[in-house]
Amino acid sequence: MTALLDIKDLRVTFNTRYGEVTALDSVALHVNAGETLGIVGESGCGKSITALAAMGLIPMPPGRIAGGSIQLEGEELTTASEARLRKLRGREIAMIFQEPMTSLNPVFTVGQQIAEAIRLHQNVSATQAFRDAVALLDRVGIPSAAERARDYPHQLSGGMRQRVMIAMAVSCRPKVLIADEPTTALDVTVQAQIFDLLNEIQRDFGVAIILITHDMGAVSEMADRVAVMYAGRVVEQSTADNVLDMPQHPYARGLIDCIPALGKGETELKEIPGVVPPLHLLGAGCAFADRCTLKNARCETEKPLLLNHGHHLAACHAVEEGRR
Amino acid sequence: MTALLRAEDLTVRFRLAKQSLFGPAVHLEAVRQVSFTLEKGRALGIVGESGSGKTTTAMAAIRLTEAAGGKVLFEGEDLLELDDEHMRLRRRDIQLIFQDPYSSLNPRARVVDIVREPMDLMEIGTPEEREARVRDLFGLVGLRPDQLNLFPHQFSGGQRQRISIARALSTNPKLLVCDEPVSALDVAIQAQILNLLARLKDELGLSYLFISHDLGVVRHVCDDVAVMYLGKIVETGPCEALFDAPKHPYTQALLAAAPSLARRKSKGYARPMKLSGDPPSPLNPPKGCAFAERCPKAQAICRETPPDPQKLGSLTVSCHFAGS
Repeated sequence: MTALLDIKDLRVTFNTRYGEVTALDSVALHVNAGETLGIVGESGCGKSITALAAMGLIPMPPGRIAGGSIQLEGEELTTASEARLRKLRGREIAMIFQEPMTSLNPVFTVGQQIAEAIRLHQNVSATQAFRDAVALLDRVGIPSAAERARDYPHQLSGGMRQRVMIAMAVSCRPKVLIADEPTTALDVTVQAQIFDLLNEIQRDFGVAIILITHDMGAVSEMADRVAVMYAGRVVEQSTADNVLDMPQHPYARGLIDCIPALGKGETELKEIPGVVPPLHLLGAGCAFADRCTLKNARCETEKPLLLNHGHHLAACHAVEEGRR
Repeated sequence: MTALLRAEDLTVRFRLAKQSLFGPAVHLEAVRQVSFTLEKGRALGIVGESGSGKTTTAMAAIRLTEAAGGKVLFEGEDLLELDDEHMRLRRRDIQLIFQDPYSSLNPRARVVDIVREPMDLMEIGTPEEREARVRDLFGLVGLRPDQLNLFPHQFSGGQRQRISIARALSTNPKLLVCDEPVSALDVAIQAQILNLLARLKDELGLSYLFISHDLGVVRHVCDDVAVMYLGKIVETGPCEALFDAPKHPYTQALLAAAPSLARRKSKGYARPMKLSGDPPSPLNPPKGCAFAERCPKAQAICRETPPDPQKLGSLTVSCHFAGS
């Protein structure tokens, strides 16, 4: 099977007051048609930058794609013209963001905004586009869709706004939907509704989803495959079951072990000591070495590559050498 | 066991802006006749979704928000009856940690001064003793003495939360109110702070009133838990009983909605209980049970009569059909 979206060796840098900082380094990911890829990691690990790069939305300058490729169905995106990207965005690849309120225009009704997205990509009349918008709102579970389509974003609850964003994102039947922390601003019961909706949309529309999250629980419920990122690199990638049940990279294992689970009582949580190093201070070795219990001399001097270890891709010298 | 803090029929009302110049004043009842007991040396978690009144309940219980009615007994003394000077002196026994470690520390003060300030205000000890205590507190929360003279922006989020904890402990309090203390932190850092809070509770014999929307976190830190919905406690009891066999349909739905590593997409999980819609507006609370609109078990009586709390084993549940 060829990948729908294929990111290879992607390197993105930003000009900052510390000089040129590498935000993404040798990032390799792919998502197949109709599946969900979860990208997990802590803040600053590069998961959102990866998504923005795929959308062609990295602000340049200060950002720069310094190397690698992003291919959507074989078409190279890193060198595509802005006009071409505008055609692709929304139609082939769409995105929903963390805070639906700031992603919607406050002075237009939600129906108008969805209709606008439809008319940008499809040759239909304004009335038809609005009718389509109402049907989409109904599809994403908004009650009395025809009336709600005439509401402004501030009249809707957070969960409803995120449903509007999803309706807009799928309005042109994209092949890839990127969801960047889509439920972080929402309550758990509403989060559950949005997750169930995304799974339904995937079943019905056959859209591939890239779910960016910091929550391993969300990955478990949503993802077919998982990529774990740390300090701008992918450190582990495999099926969700493999990563959750037998994580290889010490960081992936740490992320899973430190979650306070509902089922167990008062035992001490396993911590990952220390903090993520600032990107401008990354040395020659593995970025995780300072926090890792398995490090040796090689970890401090040589960056581990993302290698295939049976069922996992992992970037770790300890995994490579069989040290546990 | 003795009660450290006991709230009886605590009610908080906010006055909203008038609809028209001569219209009646509109009141919003954010907390409605809430009663709970926090035993000495234990942690009581208050969980609920945004707008459920969990923070307002805690703030009213320590008199940072004015209560409209009810009693708050702290070591048998009604805090709501105290005059300002006595309340001020009582505050040394009651301290707070906030959600956002960025905005809760003065950016222009050195952290040594931040941690010492409560002792200055309460005139605890001599200046030399205070300096020595700040050093001790730094060690206790896992910060280094050479960091004493730095400013808050020179610390990471987790370290800032440690500073907040040190500041809260400086007056040697009996009660620590923790308002979403780890929500703003990355999971790996979350585990460090949760372990620290658990250790401090044991070592110093502290009691926590712990507000969180994250059920896993509450399960980990707390001994008892109260679940709030639209300004009322709907179910309360020991963590173990409540998490293992919740009786209130809302608690059951909340647990079903929390993302869990046990639910896998690959195994085709189906959420055991789904909630639709959003909580009703507190401006216009339903006549009967507040949860009736979203409850799968609701009958005619639920829409008419608010349920009274009833004992079911170790749990206290406000539901007409909790036993069934």
